[in-house]
Amino acid sequence: MPVTILGIESSCDETSAAVLIDGQIVSNITADQSVHAKYGGVVPELASRAHQANIIPVVSATLRDANIDLKKLNAVAFTQGPGLLGALMVGTSYAKGLALALDIPLIAVHHMQAHILAHFIKYPHPQFPFLCLTVSGGHTQIVLAQDHLQMKVIGQTIDDAAGEAFDKTAKMLGLNYPGGPLIDKYAKQGNGDKFHFPEPQVPDLNFSFSGLKTSILYFLRDEIRKNENFIQENLYDLCASIQKTIAGILLKKMIKAAKHTGIREIAISGGVSANSELRRLFTENAKELGWNIYIPDLEYCTDNAAMIAITGYYKYLKKEFAEQTIIPLARIPELKSH
Amino acid sequence: MFSKYLCAVQKKWTVQSVGELEKVAAEILAATPAKKFAVYGNMGAGKTTFIKSICKQLGTDENISSPTFAIVHEYAGREKIYHFDLYRINKIEELIEIGFEEYLENDAYVFIEWPEVVEHMLADFNFATIKITEQNDGSRIIEVSGE
Repeated sequence: MPVTILGIESSCDETSAAVLIDGQIVSNITADQSVHAKYGGVVPELASRAHQANIIPVVSATLRDANIDLKKLNAVAFTQGPGLLGALMVGTSYAKGLALALDIPLIAVHHMQAHILAHFIKYPHPQFPFLCLTVSGGHTQIVLAQDHLQMKVIGQTIDDAAGEAFDKTAKMLGLNYPGGPLIDKYAKQGNGDKFHFPEPQVPDLNFSFSGLKTSILYFLRDEIRKNENFIQENLYDLCASIQKTIAGILLKKMIKAAKHTGIREIAISGGVSANSELRRLFTENAKELGWNIYIPDLEYCTDNAAMIAITGYYKYLKKEFAEQTIIPLARIPELKSH
Repeated sequence: MFSKYLCAVQKKWTVQSVGELEKVAAEILAATPAKKFAVYGNMGAGKTTFIKSICKQLGTDENISSPTFAIVHEYAGREKIYHFDLYRINKIEELIEIGFEEYLENDAYVFIEWPEVVEHMLADFNFATIKITEQNDGSRIIEVSGE
């Protein structure tokens, strides 16, 4: 009997559903909350309401796309957290209702663990143990993955996330929030060695981007005093230099983590892994460092239900089921090691 | 920026380095009975860094990071702590939807970065204000006011 799992993701912007059969994704559909584009960024009110409006159409579309009847489902996996509580509530309630109605197991998934297991949606899979750098608007973590369900956070940001560093410096440059993708775009035409910003001195495997943000702010303030058109005249070089600095900070910590653990299987996930300089820098250095680099396709890097379904699958195999009394959690301090 | 909610400044510190923040944090907690704080300051002033020091004083060993993306982080100290960042919020309705008022009604510690958008609500909840201003030499002035 094949194992068929429905995955549901609603932790932040995206309402997404996916169907996975025996570890293979057969459908992964994400509602495009185009309503957000009009208002800019993630708007919590709209997020919760849009999830409410989207969830049933998205699940129906996914089942249709997978050519699967609800009755064929063996389990429902959903994002329990971390995320926006109002948004998580929608996916959690829906998953609980569906599992109850179909009398099938309910599986609670940790969103950050799912980002890491996104590497098992397609081949090649990283070999255990591996290190995963998860970088997004809200997170920057280095996780040591011992097996599919045993993971340990060995480094994380002590202030701003890498994606936030991109978005906030973009705002200083006059770009609309969230401007991370625009920095990437403009950086392609700029010189990344034009400006140098001090790199944070953080011990261990932790990250800090708050100091970098402040030093860029002061740098811009001082330059604008001398030339009020400084940003406009140097936009491309500024974007390239900022991007190179952030990517460099991430690479240095990964090198440290790899040395510290002796692991050379290196994975990257999360929305910021779409950044072209980050990809270039890691891929280019991998050979010299003897690393095998794994970066999932972009659709599996940003928030998606396929990663929830694949995590649900590994939990299903271990019979890690949730009770009907489970509640969503906006913040789960650590990746749980089961 | 403080508008009509600005009371007479009760206390003021000048800090030269991050290392001095914990002492100021402890003094603020001792000086005010308020458990809710609106924290003002420009980008890069050190709002998150200072809240980190206060949370440490409140007995949490959790990693305190910026909630800009998540809007609110929750920590377990000796008492519950909610750490808000309203940088991305444009309209108050957006906050009501995520249960903002329920958070405020809670008998928990609440810290709000970028509180301008909810300023008119704060008077009902006995908020103290913390203002962090960066000086040209890199030092920070921290002012606390409230009941």
